[in-house]
Parts: sequence; structure tokens; C-alpha cells
Amino acid sequence: MKDSQNAIEVENITKKFKVYFDKGNQLKEKILFHNRNRYEEHWVLKGISFQVKKGEAIGLVGHNGCGKSTTLKLLSKIIYPDSGSIEMAGRVSSLIELGAGFHPDMSGRENIYTNAAIFGLTKKEIDARLDDIIAFSELEEFIDNPVRTYSSGMYMRLAFSVAINVDAEILLIDEILAVGDANFQAKCFNRLREIKAQGTTIVIVSHSLSQIEQICDRSIWIHDGEIRKEGRPRDVHAEYLGYMGEVRQQIADKEKERLKEKERQKEKEREKQKQKEAQKKKESMTLGVGHEEVIATERNEKRWGNGKVVIKEVGMYQAGDTSRMRTIFKTGEDVEVVVRYEVKEPIKDAVFGMAIYDSQGLHCYGTNTKIDRLDDFDVTKSGEVHLLMPKFDLLPEVYVLDVSIECETALPVDYYRQAYRFEMTNVIEEVGRFRLEHSWEIKEAE
Amino acid sequence: MKAIKELYAYREMIVGLVRRDLRGRYKGSVLGFLWTFVNPLLQLVVYTMVFSVIMKNGIEKYYIYLFVGLVPWIFFSTSVTGGANSILSSKDMVKKIYFPREVLPISVVTSGFINMLFCFIVIFAALFISGIGINPVALLFLPIIMIVEYFLALGFALLSSALTVYFRDLEYILGIITMAWMYLTPVMYPETMVPENLLWILKVNPMTSVIMAYRDILYYKQIPQLETLLQALIVGIVFCILGHFVFCKLQKGFVEEM
Repeated sequence: MKDSQNAIEVENITKKFKVYFDKGNQLKEKILFHNRNRYEEHWVLKGISFQVKKGEAIGLVGHNGCGKSTTLKLLSKIIYPDSGSIEMAGRVSSLIELGAGFHPDMSGRENIYTNAAIFGLTKKEIDARLDDIIAFSELEEFIDNPVRTYSSGMYMRLAFSVAINVDAEILLIDEILAVGDANFQAKCFNRLREIKAQGTTIVIVSHSLSQIEQICDRSIWIHDGEIRKEGRPRDVHAEYLGYMGEVRQQIADKEKERLKEKERQKEKEREKQKQKEAQKKKESMTLGVGHEEVIATERNEKRWGNGKVVIKEVGMYQAGDTSRMRTIFKTGEDVEVVVRYEVKEPIKDAVFGMAIYDSQGLHCYGTNTKIDRLDDFDVTKSGEVHLLMPKFDLLPEVYVLDVSIECETALPVDYYRQAYRFEMTNVIEEVGRFRLEHSWEIKEAE
Repeated sequence: MKAIKELYAYREMIVGLVRRDLRGRYKGSVLGFLWTFVNPLLQLVVYTMVFSVIMKNGIEKYYIYLFVGLVPWIFFSTSVTGGANSILSSKDMVKKIYFPREVLPISVVTSGFINMLFCFIVIFAALFISGIGINPVALLFLPIIMIVEYFLALGFALLSSALTVYFRDLEYILGIITMAWMYLTPVMYPETMVPENLLWILKVNPMTSVIMAYRDILYYKQIPQLETLLQALIVGIVFCILGHFVFCKLQKGFVEEM
């Protein structure tokens, strides 16, 4: 330890995993299929250093496969780094795999002994904690029954009770605060806070950022085997979520591109079909049988109206940047909706409208140019409508946007249902659909 | 040193594993724990029948001669073969949680050791009944040679357990190796029967001096030669340290190999 204040010192650790193409562990395989033992090296950690002070709680966040769980496994000495050093001061208890080493045929009580022994407790120490462990698990009535008769919830409760009552100086937790029912979870959570208050050093890996924010003093964002940012959980998480939104946007873009491609294919086929039909028609015409021309304005349950003006494209953008369509927005961002339309026939007293629905079909918001008391206007030339929505305060959900054009007598010209799908993300866990402006004040009685 | 301190901290786990093994061994059988005694007793009966009725040889009370060597040998060979499997059979635990991995082979060897101690109750009974009796002074050396054998067995168990993780065939190869090894150790015959030109095999075999010491104490009722004892002691310590050294090197890769 360089600094006696530290509980954990991690210095420039790297870890690679060998990914075998076809692995053989037997002598025959090792000799006969020598070249089958080829492998690819995959660097999971590319040099990570951090320190954790005694009594500090830190959270490790990052996308799947970024190396955060590997880091935790290295800290718990289940695996070892390829280079670099890890120093830990004090007894370590890990809540990584709960109930490892439980024997199904032995009673809950016996399993407490064996399980606690795996954490390095002596019989005396276990005796002293036995009552606490049983009380915490709420399994008093069942404690002398074999563990195989337990439900999975009971099993986890017992395992968690043992692990958390070990009185470790360092506690490593991997995504486990999902134990038991809501009550038990709350209890675990409170216990964790108590433990922290007693000065235990805690390292948590979790995808639940709110849990980390509630317990941890510091967050470390690991990205592709390197530390991308560390600091106050709120700050780190905000940036992390921003990044994750970006990634999802890219994935969504790709998906959209794929769908478009599919649509184009279909379009081509339809075109061919039409040509064929036209051919047939010609043939039948020559035979002298007349057919009425069918007006080919495609209308379905998603689109309706007289089609004098047609919506060509709907897009949502970050306000002021219409170069790239976005499908993921952060609550509170400035958003701009652009509707591009084409005029087939001029209309009078046009009204542009929009509506937002959530995934359950709840009408969250809707307005149009008439409601907003814009002057009546005629549409004679193709163009764009821009709708600017600063501070777009929808809360996280998946939403769909409807847009419409109507004319004078509320006659639909082109109503486009579910024209655009978008998602909201948020750093704060408010609930509901909208953020309402608010502030708190607590006044104590004089 | 640090490793020993840590193992001491985990003594409860070792005790738990040994208890589980001893209790679980005969679980479900009618005689249960009694098998620990019945098993060697029946073996002794068979040897007596075979060697004093059918296959008579020049050695007086050959069944005792054989038995005092065979019991320690069985402890040693089960330690090596059982140790080989110890890490792999606890795969789930090793993969998920940290504890000093040495705990696993140590508990296998320890439970084998305790089993041997129970067998010794039968041995003593046989010594008295057969009329050989005991020499209290020589008997003082018995614990020493037992401990020496314990460390020797532990050294080999550490080696076999760690190597088997990387090389699974070892588990099966070891069955043959230990069998051959038994015939290359004077368990069933006196070392004087071995031809001059093969004597070197007995000399390099670390188990030779151990088995000879047991036999000196129990069968010949004499204090073992200091030379034999010292040789066994040195070899035991060397193998234990060597085994642990190799184990430490290899254990870092256990989880990835499994």
C-alpha cells in the first residue's frame, strides 16, 4: 500500500482472455490437433488504475462487456491480472455469486456454517453472528430444513444474509440488489447503507445507476477496458447516459436504414407488378374490353385524407441541427420537428397539427396551428413546416408522433399516423410522462 | 509464510470440508460410519486367509507385515488420486468465489489422513490379537512418521490437483501410476527381495523410507533407523514445498482453464 488511507489500490492492470477456436484439454487432442489450439487474444482490460479510500463506496458502470465485472473478479482474486498489481487491505467479502458452495442436502443452519467458512470466518465468529444471520434472512422457521426445500427467493435471502453479515472490511457487489421481494430489497439496501456508515469500503457493479447514486461517493465509467471518466456519480452518469443514447441512436439509424432498404425492395416489386398489370390491361384493351382507371392513391389505416397535399417526410432533430434525424432525446432538450410536404393541388385555410402518443396509446399531447391561433394561410407550393419545442420535457418512454394537414372545414388532407417513433432518456428518475416545473421548500413550524 | 497465515484463517473451511467428506462417505449405507472400521477389518481378514492358508511365504505373520504397510500406502495413493480431482470437482465454487485454493487438496489429504487414523485402531487390535504386541518406545516415532507422510502426500496432492486442471487425462493416468508405484515400493515384499541392479528404484522412491519406518515401528517393534527417518523427513518437506510452489504458479489460471 502506498497510502495507508487506501483500502484498494489498483495499478495499471491488464487482462486478456484467450478465445480458443476449438479447445482440447486432453493429451490426445493436445498432440494430434496441435493447430486446433489456436486462439485469439481478447484484451478485456487495457490498463486500469484507481484507488479506493477506506470507507469509500464506488460504483463501476459501463456497457455490457466493457470489463467492469472482470475488474470485480480481479479484485476478488477469482482471476488474476496479466500485468499490474492489486492491493487490498482487510477481509474481503464478495456478493458476486450468492450461495456458491451451498449444499442442498444440508440444513440452512449447516449451510450458514460452511458458507461463512468460505468467507474465512472461524467457528467462534460464526457462532457470534448466527442469530443475526438467521434473523436477517427471516427464515427462522425453515432454518433446520434442508436447503433443497427452499424456494429460490429463500435461498437467495439466506445467501445474502451470510455474505452481508461477514463484517468484511471490503465488500464487492455485482448486480445483486435484486434479491427477494420489494421489502427484502429495501432491507438489503438499508443494511448496505448501515455497513457503509460503519466504514466498510464498498465496490458495486450495477446497471442500476440510481442504486449507485444512492450509495456511492464516486463512479468509475469503464469503457472498452479503459477508464473513461470518474467522479461524482451524477456527473459521470449524465455523460454515460448521453453516450449510451448516442450508441442507441446509431443502432436505431442502422435499423431504419435496413427497413428503408426493405421498403425500397418492396416498392420495386410493386412497380413490376403494376407494369405487368398495365401490360395485361393493354392486352385486354386491344381485346376491346374497357376498364376504369383506378386512382392509385395508397391509403390505409395509417394514412387518410383527400391527398391534395401529401406529407413526404417527417423528422425530429435537435433544435437548430437538421442535418441528422434523431430518435433518442434527453428530457429537457430542445427539439425541432420538420414536416416536408408536396402540393398536388393548392388548398385554402390549411391547418398543420401534431399529436404525441406513448406506447400504451395514451394521448400525451396534441396541438395544431389553429389551436395556437396562427393566422389562416393557404398552401400553394411545396415546402416545410418547422415546429420548435424548446425544453422538450417528456419523460423516458417510447413515443410516436402523428402529423396532419387539414383544410378549412377540418377536412383531412393528409393525416399521417405514427409518422415518427422516438425515445426519451433521462438522468433523473422522475415518474410519469411529463416533467412539471417545480421546486421544494420545507418550512418547519416556528 | 503469508500463505500459511491465510490457510490458518480458513481453517474452519478445511474442517467443514473434511467433516463433510467423512460424514458423506458412507452416507445412506446401513452401517454408516462403522464402515470406516469394517472396511479395513474385512481387508485384513481376506489377507489373513489368502496369505496364511493359500499363498504361504517365508515371512512370519505376513498378513500383519502386509497390513502395516498397506494402510499408509492406501492413504498416500488416495491422496494423490483424490487430490487430482479436488479442484475440478469443486469447479462451481472455484469459479465463483475466492478462497485459498490449497484448501481443497488439503482437505482431501486430511480426510484421508483421519481415515488412516481410524484404520490404525484396527491395526493395533490386530497387533495384539496376533501376539506381536507393541513396543511403547518405538511407538513414540509413529506420530513423527505419520506427519512426515502427511506432508509428502500433501506435496503430491498439490501437484496432481493443479496439473489436472490443465491436463485432464492425468486423473486417469494417475490410477496406473499409483498402481505401478505400489509395486515399486516395498509394501508387499521386503526390500531384501529386490535384485541388486534395481535397488536404485527403491532408493529414489520417497515412499520407500516411509513404509519401512512404519514397518520397523509396528512389525519389527524397533526404533526406525535414524537415517531412514531423516531421509523421509527431508523428502517430505522438499516435496511439500515444491508442490506448493507449483500450485501457486498454476492456480492463477485455474478459472480460465475450467
